[in-house]
Amino acid sequence: MPPLIRIQTEAFDSGDLLNSLAGAEAECGAVASFLGQVRGGKDLVALELEHYPGVTEQALARIASHAIRRWSLGQAIIIHRVGRMEIGAPIVFVGASAPHRRAALDAVSYMIDVLKTQAPFWKKEHLTTGSRWVETRADDDAAAAKWLNEKQDEIA
Amino acid sequence: MGTASEEIDQAGEITTTDALIAWLNARDEAGQALTHPSVRLIINDEIAPGCSVLKPGDTIAFCPPFSGG
Repeated sequence: MPPLIRIQTEAFDSGDLLNSLAGAEAECGAVASFLGQVRGGKDLVALELEHYPGVTEQALARIASHAIRRWSLGQAIIIHRVGRMEIGAPIVFVGASAPHRRAALDAVSYMIDVLKTQAPFWKKEHLTTGSRWVETRADDDAAAAKWLNEKQDEIA
Repeated sequence: MGTASEEIDQAGEITTTDALIAWLNARDEAGQALTHPSVRLIINDEIAPGCSVLKPGDTIAFCPPFSGG
């Protein structure tokens, strides 16, 4: 089954997405997911995300399709929001169903780790004192590199 | 530089992305920013892995590091 990829400005219901994975495929006994939301603190008022239309969708589809093949998933979902988001709002949902838990859990880790540094999104923080673009964190790079070094030829 | 986009009439002269960056860097001061290793390239709507071969008519986007999720 091809992955479900969506880039949207509207909020999503992670419960609905999780339910769509659960019970969809009889041979999948495991469903795992990750929900990223806007973290408050440090004078943050809101986040604003931009993407590269067309290219970002393609990058997400490639990441999820690779996960489906590598972990023999029943289904993979990546939903990512763009635009302005307030504290506590959902940003990204990644989900996978698989016959067993390890495949589902690893596939979700892979998709979110790789997405953070390999899909063209740019994040701006709106603070009480002004706004600034978010830079890639070294540990995000390291998390993605762990997967990419392992299976580099298959992802490209 | 300092513009959202521009057309460069150097086809045939500039055949790789590294050569394009060197040319932009030599042409104006702001070109220096493009030599930073964190700059990502998207060529004709495809993410480029690194230095790539260019052909006449290619569209090259210079992007800051990605920060999704």
